[in-house]
Amino acid sequence: MSRPASTWVREAAAVFAKEWRSEIRTRYALNTLALFAVNTLVVVSASLGPLGAAPGRSSETLPVLLWLILLFAAAAGLPRSFVHEEETQTATALRLAATPSALFCGKLAYALTLLAALEALVAPLFLAVMNLDVARPGLLVATLAAGGFGLAAGSTLVAAIIAQARGKGTLFAVLSFPVLLPLLLLAVELTRGAFAGGGAPGQGGFQGGLGGAGVALIQLLLYDGAVTTAGLMLFPVVWNP
Amino acid sequence: MKKRTAVFASWLLWLWLAAVIVGAFEYAPLAAKFIGQSSRILFFHVPMAWAAFTAFITAGVYSVRYLFGGRSQGSPRDPRHDRAARAAIELGLLFGVLATVTGAVWSRIMWGAYWNWDPRQTSIVMALIFNGAYLALRDAVEDAEKRARLAAAYAALGLVVTPFFFFVVPRITFSLHPEPVINARGRVEMDPRMLQVLLASGAGFMALFFWLHDLRKRVLAVADRALEAAAAGAPTHAADPVSTSPRTVSQ
Repeated sequence: MSRPASTWVREAAAVFAKEWRSEIRTRYALNTLALFAVNTLVVVSASLGPLGAAPGRSSETLPVLLWLILLFAAAAGLPRSFVHEEETQTATALRLAATPSALFCGKLAYALTLLAALEALVAPLFLAVMNLDVARPGLLVATLAAGGFGLAAGSTLVAAIIAQARGKGTLFAVLSFPVLLPLLLLAVELTRGAFAGGGAPGQGGFQGGLGGAGVALIQLLLYDGAVTTAGLMLFPVVWNP
Repeated sequence: MKKRTAVFASWLLWLWLAAVIVGAFEYAPLAAKFIGQSSRILFFHVPMAWAAFTAFITAGVYSVRYLFGGRSQGSPRDPRHDRAARAAIELGLLFGVLATVTGAVWSRIMWGAYWNWDPRQTSIVMALIFNGAYLALRDAVEDAEKRARLAAAYAALGLVVTPFFFFVVPRITFSLHPEPVINARGRVEMDPRMLQVLLASGAGFMALFFWLHDLRKRVLAVADRALEAAAAGAPTHAADPVSTSPRTVSQ
């Protein structure tokens, strides 16, 4: 990169600002994400009944539902940021205006803030509706942050890939789920630990208490780092013909 | 001369694999603690899984080479690498399905169920879904150069993500799967005759994979050349469908 770092940061910030400006004008992703997440939450909660899941199993099954809601809500809203560029044919102007890596970081920051907002909405609602007590709130927050980051990074790169293909909506789900599955498994495992406290019984995880959770959290952060690095390296070849 | 060597090598491979089949049923003894003759499936199931794994790595390596590696005349990237990656993914899907099915049959006999989300079953299913997604992506892009570029990026992403399965999956589910051939204690605990057949079969399947890979690469190259010829020499209106159709040329 021949340009100075300050230009790069300014480019990334400009992309980020542009994304949010166009988002606030249309509110497409915000509406989709929030409504989708709330609808799914209502469906899940209503099907489980007024008492939530059976007490003994709730800390094992409910984390899965929480992360599935987040995953599908992300799949409904996140691909838009690249698909929109191709549909309105603004992608070429963006290719001329910004360095690919700065563009990727701007879009990633946008996806991150969007997901953070989604998690801030969904997680408290989920806990309230399901009558869940969180044994380790700090671990839950750390998991939501690290999981949300990986979700945003993986989705941003896959969105850039599918935006240039046909059948974008379904293709995003098909391509992103194998990539996001390790993240999902780790996040579910950690959320279980956060709900249940010491260990998730019968699952073999966290027998060592905090140590087990620490290992899983480090692996989740490694996943985030690996996917972000891969995104930064692969995005330029995906983006530029 | 070169052609004769290749024909000779393919016949040798045929004989080798035939000998492996005979060895698996007649030479190797039955493993202890296995129900009936079920341990014999090992000589085919395990090499198929190795071949599927090799195919996956091959596809990843060729995809990275396509994106960041060599150049050919007139184009920033080498389409040969793209064809090699695609051929490997297709074969990975084939060997992966075979390994999954043979494993499920064996699992039904030994564990009483075709499927129980054993870590290795989880891993191979993820690999299969990934290969399927890769091919779905290729089908969804019309422009050849763009198709190759996007597919290669996706395969490279897969190569980055896959190692996490090896961390995560074994910890989450309890495994009934027999220990790998080389286990955690670094010793091979297997009857020597069984090991001989297994290694012979492994070598045979590896050769089979690379032979099929080479064949598939050449078929894809011929099809690409036919498409190029059709695009270059096509008349303004398709007056003669026989000579301009790429399918009739490539077959």
